[in-house]
This record gives sequence, C-alpha cells and structure tokens, in this order.
Amino acid sequence: MTMATYRGSPSAFSTPASTTLFRRLTWEGTVPLEIRVDSKELPANSDRGLETYYIQAPRVSYLPLIVPELKRFLMDVVFDEAAARIMKEEEWWFESEEGSLLKWHWPIGLIYDNHTVSASIRASSSLAQTPTPLRLILHLASPPTEKLLLAPSAEACKQAFMGQMKEADFLRWGNTKRMTGLRKAEQDGLWEGIKEHNFDEYWRVASKITPTTTPLRSQSPPPSAAMHTRPPSADPQGATPDRDGAYNVRSVPVRIYLPDGPVLQDLVPPLLDNGSALTLQQFLSQHLPRLFPPSASEPPFRDLAYALIQGVVTPPEAEMAWLGACMSGADGWVNVCIGVLRDNAHR
Amino acid sequence: MAGSPETQTRSLPSVWTSGDANANIQEALEALESYKKKDPSKVVVRFKAVGNAPIMKQNLYKITASNRFQAVIQFLRKELGWKAGDPLFTYINLAFAPAPDDTVSNLFKSFSTEGHLIVNYSTTAAWG
Repeated sequence: MTMATYRGSPSAFSTPASTTLFRRLTWEGTVPLEIRVDSKELPANSDRGLETYYIQAPRVSYLPLIVPELKRFLMDVVFDEAAARIMKEEEWWFESEEGSLLKWHWPIGLIYDNHTVSASIRASSSLAQTPTPLRLILHLASPPTEKLLLAPSAEACKQAFMGQMKEADFLRWGNTKRMTGLRKAEQDGLWEGIKEHNFDEYWRVASKITPTTTPLRSQSPPPSAAMHTRPPSADPQGATPDRDGAYNVRSVPVRIYLPDGPVLQDLVPPLLDNGSALTLQQFLSQHLPRLFPPSASEPPFRDLAYALIQGVVTPPEAEMAWLGACMSGADGWVNVCIGVLRDNAHR
Repeated sequence: MAGSPETQTRSLPSVWTSGDANANIQEALEALESYKKKDPSKVVVRFKAVGNAPIMKQNLYKITASNRFQAVIQFLRKELGWKAGDPLFTYINLAFAPAPDDTVSNLFKSFSTEGHLIVNYSTTAAWG
C-alpha cells in the first residue's frame, strides 16, 4: 500500500503502485488502423482519393465504438449528399486486407495482435518491423450476419462485453457475485469508461471486481514455495486481506489465440501443486507442448513461438496471476496471442 | 486445452542452432496444424428452462465439442420450434451469456458441472 514498499522491495511488481502503472499502460495502449472503403462499393460521386481514414484506436475499444467517428468523416469528406442520405450504418462491416471478417465483439487490441501473429506464419513478416497500420476494408452493404454473430450496434457490443466480464468473474471466483453486486450505474460506468477511453471512470468500478496483487509476496522477495502452500479453499471464512488476491482465484481468465485459429480456453489455476506461482512458460508448455517444449524448465527456452499480450512480447517467467491482475483487457480476459519465431530476436 | 495425443512421444529438435531457423519454422507450422485439428469428441449438454420458457421433454444432448456455442443456440431454437426473431436468451450456470463464437469444448472445460455443460434458456433477459 505504501511508497515504502514500492521503493524498498525487490518484488515491487506486486505493489499497488506498479499495478496501477501496468494497468494504465495497458489501458492507454493504442493501435494504428487504416480504414478504406471497399472501392467497389464507394457510392457514385464520392471524392475518391480521400476514402481512407486513419485512426489511432484504443486497444480496449471496439469497432462499433469507432463507427460514429468514421461515419462523420465519410459524410463530411467523401460521400456526396445523395449518397449520405441513403447510407445505412447498420449494414456496415469490416474485413481485414486478407479477407478475414472482423468481429464486432473482439477488443480492437486483440484484433490487432491476432492479425500480427497470423501474419507470423506467412513468409517475410517480422515483429521487428516498425509497427504498420492494420489495414481494414469497410464494406457498406450486405453484412454476412451469420458469421458476424452480433448486430453491429454499440448496444449489442455492450451486452457482449458484460457477458465477457461475468464469464471472467465466474472463472475467478466460481460465481458472479462481484459483477451482479454492482449497481446498474456502476455497470454502465464500466462501458462509459471504455467509450470515453477514461481510465479513472473505468477503474473506479473495475477495481471492485479485478483481483488485487497485494500482499502475497510484498514481505518476502524470493518467490518461495512456502508462501503459497495454503490452498485458496482453506481460506477461513474468506475474511483474510488477500481474499480478493490474484493468487487466490480459482482460475485466471485466459484465452490462447493461435495464428488463423483456433482459440483455446481452459481452467488456469494461478498456483502449481507445490504452491509456486504458475508462469507463462509453464502454462504454455502445458497447453502447447510442441511449440513450448516442457523439457526446459528454466532459461534458455527452446521455444518455437512467442506470446504476445497487449502487444507486448511477454517474458516467459511472468506469472499468470499477475498477468490476470495487470495485463488483462477491459473485459477481464488475458488474451495470449501466439506467433511463430522467425529469428533469434525474441528468444 | 487441446494437448495433442502424440505430444508425449515426440522428439525434441536434436540441434537448436541459429542456422536451422527454417527447420524450426517448419516444425512450428506442423505443430500449429496439429492444434488446429477439430476435436471429434462429444460432450453432454443439459438444457434447463428459466422463467416462462417451455420445458424440454428431453433435455440431455450429446453435442460435438468443436461446435461453436452459436450452433448450440441454433439447435435449441429448432428443438423449441422457435421462429426467427422469437426472443431466446442463453446462459451458462445461471450466470453469464458466453460469446457465440466460443466453442462447446472450451466452455465444457471451464464450466462443466458433474460431466454436464448446463445451458439455461429464457424468453427474457435474465443475467444479461
């Protein structure tokens, strides 16, 4: 809780000050998007040459939330009045340059990272390149509703977001009491925080449902097994200070995104049987042993792939519990995107 | 998560040098292919009506694990004789509505109770 802990302890990463720092870094992350209207669908008399829109979009935001801004630009600059009058934004949908549908209910940061790792399995791509905008095609008609799964409205997106929050809550604690205990105004505040990209507004409420990173190891720098031997279920009346602790959850909400699919999800208990914290390397070895061979329990790892979380190539020794508390998206999920290593830069 | 059956017997790359990057990439791509194989197994889904929703005579079904939850919703609508546009809300464990693109397999692994994935359905929003 105190700055003294922050300065004095080698495990400063588990103090609130650094937790807030990483949460803010995650929150403030943005990705460059280049959105072009499909040239075949551009209405007659459009101002060609201007039909591309560039935006630095928040990672925690969603495509339906950037549509109003995009629409304003197209109406003001590209379409003529006749075209603008008949434009129906309910028909709009997005595709990547390679032709994959972009889902309304995926956070924009996840769309970006998933695209990055999917490119890693094709030749001549490298993470080392300067970040380039993700090129999106905007279609103005005939949405493939069956595949998009969701209506393209901010309201449908909000409902999906709330569903994800509750699913994450259920994974962590075995119930959704923390989410359902929020007042309506508080739940709305979470979504408003995302819409306005307002860290304080979102975290004023989110801090009530996201696990804390204190105090498991703030007193004892070396991650000793003894610190973790008490199983979460043995928590007396659930009244101890670390009742909401990241290392006490039943499971960390995590999904693995492989290049071009599939998406994998399972229970991810934060501690191993011996009481030590589960690391990213151990987690990946359990679930993707052919890419992250389990034989190497400590560096150097002989991995064939890397893990991208919130755009960051994440160190293998990162603890899953910590990732869940500090690097999860606004919906509470840690999205681990797996890319193929093409050089030695990230090993 | 889908650990492939042959992972126990696979041999590690005998040599890891910076020179055989191409071999590593090849091996990674093969591994990815193996993780992409669809799980053909089936899991038991138990449908439970909530509120005024009609009760199903048979409520236990085996559903292919690789199906997306969207397919479960469509199956349920058909069984109930729902017309397009009739409202139907689906939840897991009376707690949350999963994303429609999540797979039955993923949901089963995370949320099954006594060997069943419990899907609640309602004609009005309940835990949305």
